Amino acid sequence: MSETAATPSTQDRAATARKRRMTTRASVKIGEKLAGGIITVGGLLVIVAVLGIMVFLIRVVLPLMSSGELQGSVRYQLDTNQDVIWVNADEFQTIGLALAAEGRVIAFHVPTGRELRRVQWDFDGATVTSVSGTVERDRIALGFDDGTVRFATLAVQNTSTARRNLPSGLTELDARDRVLDGVIFTEVGTGDFRTLEPVIELGASEQLSDQPIIGIDYRIGGTRDRPVVAFASIDAANQVRVSRSRTQVNMMTGAETITTTTTELPPLGLQPGVAPTGILISGNADRVLVSAGDGYIYRYDLRDANTPILAERVRVADDGVGVTAMTFLTAEDALVVGTEAGDVMVYFRLQTGTPDTTDGREMVRARTHLQMPAAVIDVSEAQRAKEFVAVDAEGNVWVYQSTADQVQFRLARSGAVTTDALAMIFPRSNGVMLASRGGEVEAWQYTVPHPEVTLRVLFGEVWYEGYNDQSFVWQSTAGTDTVEPKYSLVPLVFGTFKAAFYAMVFAVPIALMAAIYTSEFVDKRVRATVKPMMEMMESLPTVVLGFIAALVLAPLVEEWIGAVLLGFFALPMGLMIGAFAWQTLPAQVALRFDGFPKFALMGLSILITAWIASRLGVGLENLLFSGDFKQWTTGRIGTGTPFMFLILLPLSYFVTAWAFRKQFGHHFRDLIDGMDRSRAGLFDAARWITLLILAMILSYAVASLLTMIGYDPRGSFIDSYQQRNALVVGFIMAFAVIPNIYTLAEDALNSVPGHLRAASLACGATPWQTACWVVLPTAASGVFSAVMMGMGRAVGETMIVVMAAGNTPIMEWNIFSGLRTLSATIAIELPEAVRDGTNYRILFLAALTLFVMTFIINTGAELIRQRFRKRAFNL
Amino acid sequence: MTSMNEQMPPASTAAGVAGVAAREAVAPKRARRRYSADLSALGEPALWGFGGALALGIIMIAVFLMVVLYNGATTFWPKPIDRVELTDGTVIAGTERRGTLFRPQLAPLDAETRALIEENDGFAFRTLYQTANFDLYGDDFRWVADFETATITQPEDFYYFERQVWGVFIGRIAGMQIAGQQIDYDPAVFRREQAAARARFREIRQIERREIGRINHYIERERLAQRRAVLRQGEEAAQPAVLASQARIAELQAEFQVLQARVNEIRALDRSFTVTLEEVNGRQISPEISQIVRFFPANTLSIFDKIGIYLSRWWEFVSAEPREANTQGGVLPAIFGTVAMTLLMVVFVAPFGVITALYLREYAKQGRITSMVRISVNNLAGVPSIVYGVFGLGFFAYAMGGTIDQLFYPEALPNPTFGKGGILWASLTLALLTVPVVIVATEEALSAVPRSMREGSLACGASKWQTIRFVVLPKAMPGIMTGMILAMARGAGEVAPLMLVGVVKLAPALPIDGFAPFIHLDRSFMHLGFHIFDVGFQSRNSEAGKPMVFVTTLLLLALIIVMNATAIIVRNRLKRKYATGQF
Repeated sequence: MSETAATPSTQDRAATARKRRMTTRASVKIGEKLAGGIITVGGLLVIVAVLGIMVFLIRVVLPLMSSGELQGSVRYQLDTNQDVIWVNADEFQTIGLALAAEGRVIAFHVPTGRELRRVQWDFDGATVTSVSGTVERDRIALGFDDGTVRFATLAVQNTSTARRNLPSGLTELDARDRVLDGVIFTEVGTGDFRTLEPVIELGASEQLSDQPIIGIDYRIGGTRDRPVVAFASIDAANQVRVSRSRTQVNMMTGAETITTTTTELPPLGLQPGVAPTGILISGNADRVLVSAGDGYIYRYDLRDANTPILAERVRVADDGVGVTAMTFLTAEDALVVGTEAGDVMVYFRLQTGTPDTTDGREMVRARTHLQMPAAVIDVSEAQRAKEFVAVDAEGNVWVYQSTADQVQFRLARSGAVTTDALAMIFPRSNGVMLASRGGEVEAWQYTVPHPEVTLRVLFGEVWYEGYNDQSFVWQSTAGTDTVEPKYSLVPLVFGTFKAAFYAMVFAVPIALMAAIYTSEFVDKRVRATVKPMMEMMESLPTVVLGFIAALVLAPLVEEWIGAVLLGFFALPMGLMIGAFAWQTLPAQVALRFDGFPKFALMGLSILITAWIASRLGVGLENLLFSGDFKQWTTGRIGTGTPFMFLILLPLSYFVTAWAFRKQFGHHFRDLIDGMDRSRAGLFDAARWITLLILAMILSYAVASLLTMIGYDPRGSFIDSYQQRNALVVGFIMAFAVIPNIYTLAEDALNSVPGHLRAASLACGATPWQTACWVVLPTAASGVFSAVMMGMGRAVGETMIVVMAAGNTPIMEWNIFSGLRTLSATIAIELPEAVRDGTNYRILFLAALTLFVMTFIINTGAELIRQRFRKRAFNL
Repeated sequence: MTSMNEQMPPASTAAGVAGVAAREAVAPKRARRRYSADLSALGEPALWGFGGALALGIIMIAVFLMVVLYNGATTFWPKPIDRVELTDGTVIAGTERRGTLFRPQLAPLDAETRALIEENDGFAFRTLYQTANFDLYGDDFRWVADFETATITQPEDFYYFERQVWGVFIGRIAGMQIAGQQIDYDPAVFRREQAAARARFREIRQIERREIGRINHYIERERLAQRRAVLRQGEEAAQPAVLASQARIAELQAEFQVLQARVNEIRALDRSFTVTLEEVNGRQISPEISQIVRFFPANTLSIFDKIGIYLSRWWEFVSAEPREANTQGGVLPAIFGTVAMTLLMVVFVAPFGVITALYLREYAKQGRITSMVRISVNNLAGVPSIVYGVFGLGFFAYAMGGTIDQLFYPEALPNPTFGKGGILWASLTLALLTVPVVIVATEEALSAVPRSMREGSLACGASKWQTIRFVVLPKAMPGIMTGMILAMARGAGEVAPLMLVGVVKLAPALPIDGFAPFIHLDRSFMHLGFHIFDVGFQSRNSEAGKPMVFVTTLLLLALIIVMNATAIIVRNRLKRKYATGQF
């Protein structure tokens, strides 16, 4: 820097040369400007940093809330000449396949509608009366009016072609795709060509019934190696059949090898004139559902394949309103039902233990989605998401997201609305293809980055698949893709506050009391050693605290739980015994040993009582908790009385002490008035012991009363014991928080001007009275802000909770159960989250939530502290 | 709130004081003054409660430090091997880990034991033995209850082996094979052969790490250079460069073959030196001698032997790389990573913190903007560290790092170079986290510089920046150093954000090595704090890792304390220097 050289030379010149230069050198001026600029910019950078963090977090989170974007649609007429009864398309939205009622199959290019291949299937003169396919839509079953069924494949085969193997004579279809003989080549990023070819095959027919098959459903379940092929059918005589084939034979190419076992299911018992409207079978063929025109759904239980049972008949629509469409969502836990009235509902089969059904399960309406304007004529589920598309009789096409309970798109139809149509969601859930019976195809493309996330999902109760009721659940990752992701932040926020709450329960009393004692009652020398020691706690890495908590303290507490419980009462008791004993000392002795010896005695009394508690812990368990506290917490043995007795003990003591003071306070004061200190001390101790015994009696009476009226703390804030629990977390987190609160509170107390203290003491108040009634009220706001700062730290603490809290996202106040905080979730899940994926953004939202929470707490604390400072200076 | 002044002292106290005064007034004839006017005024029980809280806090810290110190310091002390015969005839051999009380299941026990346990409130004592021999037993530990134990002996021929893989082996030496010759066990020969075998082992490692590592590095570099040339100049134009590069790769590969042959040669030799070990029940294994890192007859050690083993284990701990999924061996890479990351952090945090403090104290007009800056500083201090980690990952690693990759390292894509967690992003993240500490400390130091000094400087004709540069900053230097120390201590102990921005359980390469550009800021690194978390919570057996965790904890605490102490010494020195150097 230039000015570094400038100053010495100026000095030199001043010393040697007589003539003074009156102008400032340019280098100094420039340096001045530069430094000023850099420092100002640098200073303001802090604001930029805070805002930047916030803005960046918000920017990452925002796409979660975007509702999705429609990217365009195409519409064209296929030369089907007949009604389209089935469509399929590949996941790149390249090749579409449409099957017409009389057997014409057309493969077409989805973006342009160009016909790629045409096949005419021969049904031997039979007419198709029902059609259905697997979830992937590439294998279909057809039911005919002569009681036969056939299987067919309408698939798109996906292979890869290297650039050098590319055949010549390709025709360009659009910017993306080229075609040759019905095969489409698409260049992909690596330079190779994705090659898509339609596969159109029809199997032989199989006689199933002598009646027309009016409904059919077809699934391939099981594992890849041992597929379970099953289909359910219903004929015009309302006979439901289930056929299974467990062989690995390709049913499509060699139908003659199928060894199908067909089971006839018990009769539906439909009223005359009521026709079945649909049939569904689950992938592992243990459930068959039949919907009917009377608004009922019939459920067969096929878990025992040889004795099928009609398990349940459930009304899903009003009387006379027929069920017109139904389908399973992926994973087959949820059933989407559409009715003549336009209702769109989701039913779960839940294990409720109801006596109304034969298997103790029940179909329960879990979600009622937005009603469609007219009768629902078709619903079709997405393959990899909890989404479905519904078409109504007026030609509306709505895409629903089921978990988030919202209509994602109401797709606008271009041109004339043909009402009779069927729809499918493209495999990647990024578009819908609609085929009207007349062969008109309309395809929409859209993107929804995070369809399963809405504010309601994040912060509200949602009824998830397999759950018995609405609940707040966090389960972001699961074993398979078809499990509904559960992104409720509420259990995490709850866990955060639970951990912070229990930490504060330990930290605040200890930190504040210690701060008051340090600031008011010890001399400077003691303070000079004690304060740095407390502050040393602050530099302890929390990972160390967490490790000690989880691997040392948690097993120890579990083993010595009786002693720990006793300790909570024994420690204060020991100190009180010390205090009352101290009071009986003669005044001279007491004065002489005031200060450090007294403090050492306090420490000693803690150590002694801790030792006694460790000896008596088992005795306490035997006495109050039937010998085993952990067993007791489960609620299987004992009553709630002993615990409530312990909890109510401090309260009862305050009540008795207050009552005594109210009634006999001045008598007692008169009594000990004039006694010398030792005797007064003895009397006071006697008073304390009496009060304590009274308090115990009172507490036990109240606890018994509570038990008598049926109150048991177990099940609420006391419940079954886990090794890594809120007690341990709270205790160790207090370690991390105490120094914060202690330092700030001590500073606040210390900054109370000395003249206030001096005045109070000069008026005859004791140091205790001064501390209690002069210093503390003056510093109250500062002390409060210290507590808030500590709270902020407890809310954001990560390593301790990651290691010691068990990380179970449950919502209960039970002090003996684990918890999962926002911070722990981020630390555990973010390293594995896919960048810009849903979980990634939600974890950023968790971070933002933490940021905002601490921002509010800290800003509030800082404002309070600034006010306090201003006042303290004015005093 | 403003009425607070009038409220103080509160009415009750005022009345109490007045009451005492009144009594004094009506009874002036009483000659002796009473000191025991009202015990409640002294608040003795409350005082004890307050003092007790303080004492409790101190006891908690003391106990905590003692637990860490005791466990950490005793981990490496060799323990005797107990041969325990159980009442059911089973024999185990192991070193005692710890003992606890527990509630045994009473049902399967005989009446006598049951009576004994019931007498003891249903508790019995049990001991955890490290039986080791994971490859034979499938477990490292075994609980033995007191009532199960028949006899405990400490046989002299039992050895404690620390192995390169599979952890510890406890047992006898049944024989050895030296250069293919089966011979009887001879301690002197075995000791010599073990040293030789370890030397071979180190040679192999040296070749694999250094030499082959170097070749791999250059091959990788050539490969990237090829891609870069193709990307920059197009496939045609880059052809000569690519061919030249391929030739170089072929050369390197030839070199590699030579080295590999040498390694195989040593390996083959190594396989002819084995030792036959026999566990307590007679099952034998025959590992290569080079696999034995350390061995000692645990029950016949003299105190000097023990001290020797203790020190050698400590030396291994601070100077070697980890083995056995970090549960054994050393933590050198973690120490290195922690120190490097912290120093790098200081490089970022120092100018930023000092400039902000200078702005707040010297340049800004006190007003709305400075109060906003102050609130920002406080918020930076209060934001949970994990949020910084999230920001660091999203902004530094993905956004900034991703951009850097696209601009400067396109040849490595889609593998990220800077677009993932690394030591640069980790230290930047921690710099953001610790900047408030530096700001607050620097501000305090600046405000402690007397106004007169500034005015004197300005009066002599120095400009504002000159005054700051030559008068204020030197004077405030000790305070700034304090801030830096505190920031370092905080940064070294922070783990949560690092888990997101570049800490790994096992780093393949250090961030600093012998290949240009020598400092690799994009590399991920190991960290002592994360090592604690990883070994304690993510290893196959947390019990096996526990001693290691305690030692690492001790080391981390020591490191933090040493950093503090060094910096305090520096500060004191500066203080002295500037105390005499100025005015």
